[in-house]
Amino acid sequence: MNLLAFAGRRLAGAAVLLVLLSAAVFAVTAVLPGDAVSAVAGVDASAAQRADVRAGLGLDRPAAERYAAWAADAVRGDLGHGFVGERPVTDILATRLPNSLLLAGLTLAVTAPLATLLGLWTGLRGGGTADRVVSTGAQVLAAIPEFVVAALLVAVLAVWAGVLPRVSVVPLGGTPLDAPRALVLPVLTLSAVGLAVATRLLRVSVADAAATPYCEAARLGGVRGIRLAVRHVLPNAAGPAVQALTLTTGALVGSAVVVENVFDYPGIGRELQLAVAARDVPMVQGIATALVAVMLLVLLLGDVCARLIGAREGHGR
Amino acid sequence: MSRQFDRRAFLRRGAAGAAALAVGPGLLAACSTDAPGADREGAGSSPRSGGTLRAAFVGGGASETLDFFNGPSALDLVRARAWHGTLGNLDPEGPDGVRYGVLKGIDVSDDLSAYTLHVRPGVRFTDGSELTSADILHSLSVLAGRSTLPVYRLAAANFDLASAKADGDLKVVLPTLRPIADGRMILCQGNFLVVKDGTRAFRKGMPSCGPFRLTEFTAGQGSAFERYDDHYGHVPLLDGLELRSIADSTARAGALTGGEVDFAHDLSPVTARTLTGDAKVRLVPTGSPYLVGLSFQMNMAVEPFDDPRVREAFKLAVDRETMVKTVFYGNAETGNDLPAMGFPDYAGSLPRRTHDPERARKLLKEAGADGTEVRLTTGPETPGMVEMATLFVEDLKKVGVKASVRELPAGQLYADFAAYAALPLAGSYQMPIPALSTYQMSTAGGSPSAFGWKDAETDALVAKARAASDPAEAKELGTLAQRTRWEKGNQVLPVFKPNLNAQAEGVAGIREDLFEQFPGFSQASLA
Repeated sequence: MNLLAFAGRRLAGAAVLLVLLSAAVFAVTAVLPGDAVSAVAGVDASAAQRADVRAGLGLDRPAAERYAAWAADAVRGDLGHGFVGERPVTDILATRLPNSLLLAGLTLAVTAPLATLLGLWTGLRGGGTADRVVSTGAQVLAAIPEFVVAALLVAVLAVWAGVLPRVSVVPLGGTPLDAPRALVLPVLTLSAVGLAVATRLLRVSVADAAATPYCEAARLGGVRGIRLAVRHVLPNAAGPAVQALTLTTGALVGSAVVVENVFDYPGIGRELQLAVAARDVPMVQGIATALVAVMLLVLLLGDVCARLIGAREGHGR
Repeated sequence: MSRQFDRRAFLRRGAAGAAALAVGPGLLAACSTDAPGADREGAGSSPRSGGTLRAAFVGGGASETLDFFNGPSALDLVRARAWHGTLGNLDPEGPDGVRYGVLKGIDVSDDLSAYTLHVRPGVRFTDGSELTSADILHSLSVLAGRSTLPVYRLAAANFDLASAKADGDLKVVLPTLRPIADGRMILCQGNFLVVKDGTRAFRKGMPSCGPFRLTEFTAGQGSAFERYDDHYGHVPLLDGLELRSIADSTARAGALTGGEVDFAHDLSPVTARTLTGDAKVRLVPTGSPYLVGLSFQMNMAVEPFDDPRVREAFKLAVDRETMVKTVFYGNAETGNDLPAMGFPDYAGSLPRRTHDPERARKLLKEAGADGTEVRLTTGPETPGMVEMATLFVEDLKKVGVKASVRELPAGQLYADFAAYAALPLAGSYQMPIPALSTYQMSTAGGSPSAFGWKDAETDALVAKARAASDPAEAKELGTLAQRTRWEKGNQVLPVFKPNLNAQAEGVAGIREDLFEQFPGFSQASLA
């Protein structure tokens, strides 16, 4: 089948890209100044102790050799142990990645329908008061740094109104789903920024689609209002917007560090940040590679969706 | 209660009182409960027992484990302190300057070649077995001896851990590597914890003998404990304890003011300041000696710091009071260019160096170093470090040095150690550990972290001071050695900052557990 072949081809491409990118990540950790010895042995360690620890961590071997060994294990699903604390990298991924995926997924679930509504509303009334208000609002929101949005939401919803907890205290051994209230502020913060960007994107493509002769014909044929928007404009406008939205959602999985810090949300972004600061190469390598894989997968899904929409659109015509 | 302790408690309360006058009645009321042990009972209200205390710490993220011999974060040690028995803690009131835990006492042989640890009889593990010398031996020589963490290296640098022997069930004999008289201060610093003989893996349910038993642990999130009713000494007042990881300082403070935790560890100076107006919470900074030194290291291997006049000028140029006021809002103490302030072997009798830009300028001129260019390198390794460097550079500019700051990203300063040790001027910080043993470990013998300081005479003096059985003689020799460092040394140490902890109103008894830097909760109670 056409779509299956397309997906297969893209999957193969993604696999090759994953290998290349994992090598690139490893190269970056190799050229980063310093190593994990100070994090493991302390700043005051003597030269002999440093050499011991360095040999113990295997850091005295050439980078290429270390990458080859890592890759050979990684293919078998063993991403090694972190230098600090010696926990298996896959354990960290198993506990933290789902939380980040959940956060990104919920954000998408909030952003996508809202952005569709706002995008259609403003795009179909280009230049009107509503369009100007929403567009300006979106522009302002997109320009505000995430931590400011977070601080404002905390000030209003947690401190002033007192309806939500300030930090996401997840029950021990549980997941954020066990404390749904704690998810609200992180998701709202990420959605606010994501919504602003997505709305502006959709508005443009909706306006473009609405100006096509096809929509013009539909309008002349008496199709109006919601029916026009949903049946005729949206399918044509959604393609580029879906791809843009998947791009931001994929990136969200690993880069929600600000929100993870402010609300103490147990995501993977901060783990990556910690690992980089400690020069914990196996951890950085494992997390970064996993994030790359997620990103490639999400992009693939986006492309498949866009293609499906395109196919429907083709039938529609 | 010793006079020294009384005085310190008095000064602390005096300072807190002054602060309270400025902030309002909420904090003033709080101060009346800020008294150590005896006073609290005198007030007539006995602490409430029961309840679960929840405390928030930075933690090490999802990669933390229960193996505290391999866990570098403060939370790793706090968790272990709640869970395992300790050899002892430093205690200015104690007979040997320490309060013993699972030990009855430590004897030192006359020639200072061996320490005999006497096990406290009747200490029971949670599996019902009695703690013996074998458990202490295993914890000390096998587990601590193999650890690469700096806190445990201090013991390996002083004792021949591999040759330690059990003498019956209740005695452990620990040979020293060279004669030392201050070994109790090293063994009873609070971080030597005892687990059962043969322990290799650390997991929930393993036998332990601390005040609490672990019931739950999720890496990067936290751990839960319940009281261990058979705990040696006294049984905790709390029913349970929950230690949470909250990495961000503001989020920790938010959890405290929002009532989600009762204790927040190590807040940033700015966050702590935002709490002063809140009547429901109280700032409880750690007291001396549990203060972190913030310092600048001058590299004697490069110009202009090979000239002692330049080094002295840099020490005179720094405006210590202003740093305490502007960076820490008064919540810190000025340093005297020597580490380990507040420890028994600290040279507290030396004159305090004052801010003297005039003399600094003169010294620089004499050394031909006025207008010299210097770049200070630092990084955000602990709150206040970068701000301190910025102020220092301004101070240096005022005495005619063309100074600038370079701020490295988090983690890089120490990660690239070779580059760090070669820096001409570096910002750094010192954890609170005793003065002389620290000097031997990290400064003596031209160690790379000594930044070009190499002085066989001082090294010998320190060794002699540590080998003096007579405390007065030890103090005199130790002070002499530190005087040389103070006069000619290459370290500017203008500020000691406390861990700015905060707790909910009514929480008490954390300070009574000693070793405040890594708070213990065995005597804590809730409102």
